[in-house]
Amino acid sequence: MKYYIIALLLCLTGCTSVPVERKFPEVPNVLLGKCPQLKTIETETTVFSELTKTVVQNYTTYYECAVKNDAWIEWYQVQKKIFEEVK
Amino acid sequence: MTIMWMLSWLPDFFWHLLLAAGVVAVLASLVLKRIPFVSNYRIPLQYGGIAAVIFSVWMEGGIANEAKWQARVKELEAKIAVAEAKSKEENVKIVTKVVTKTEYYKERGADIIQYVDREITKYDNTCPVPKEVVKAHNDAAVPGDKK
Repeated sequence: MKYYIIALLLCLTGCTSVPVERKFPEVPNVLLGKCPQLKTIETETTVFSELTKTVVQNYTTYYECAVKNDAWIEWYQVQKKIFEEVK
Repeated sequence: MTIMWMLSWLPDFFWHLLLAAGVVAVLASLVLKRIPFVSNYRIPLQYGGIAAVIFSVWMEGGIANEAKWQARVKELEAKIAVAEAKSKEENVKIVTKVVTKTEYYKERGADIIQYVDREITKYDNTCPVPKEVVKAHNDAAVPGDKK
């Protein structure tokens, strides 16, 4: 029995070594933030300019978030290409 | 696996020496049979030499294989280092693009709000917004609960 254990341990010594380690590519912090909530209008304020301003701010928020989303897609595609180049 | 374990414990030259000793032992066993006094050692020397040659050749194969894999590992490590540097370089490009575009949209939004303050406020008194319009806008702006 003890010979089997020794033989098993000898075989396991080969399993513990990992020759090459690859790190997951780092994601820029600027992409890790969540998209903010869109703004709402106070019900009491029914001024036309306030409505327009809120709509403009929400459009700006959308475009800022879209930039991040596009950057995520680009990041994935670029990192995938770099990853696949290593063979 | 065991070969690699043994290789890690003993230096490579040990196996070269063992191979040389095995060959010498086999050759010596052929010479010794002609010498009457020491001919008694011929058989163990011959078997020992053959065993040493077989085992050391096997280990030499292991050394060659290990050297091949170590070279491959080094090659891969070099490629990975290049890829990691390239990855960081691309990240810098992406961050720059995000920051530039975000700044552009912020400035553009601020410009439009200035326009609203300058031009649209003129219609605040003449064009009241119904509460229903505000409600529709607010309902669209908040995601609401998923059912």
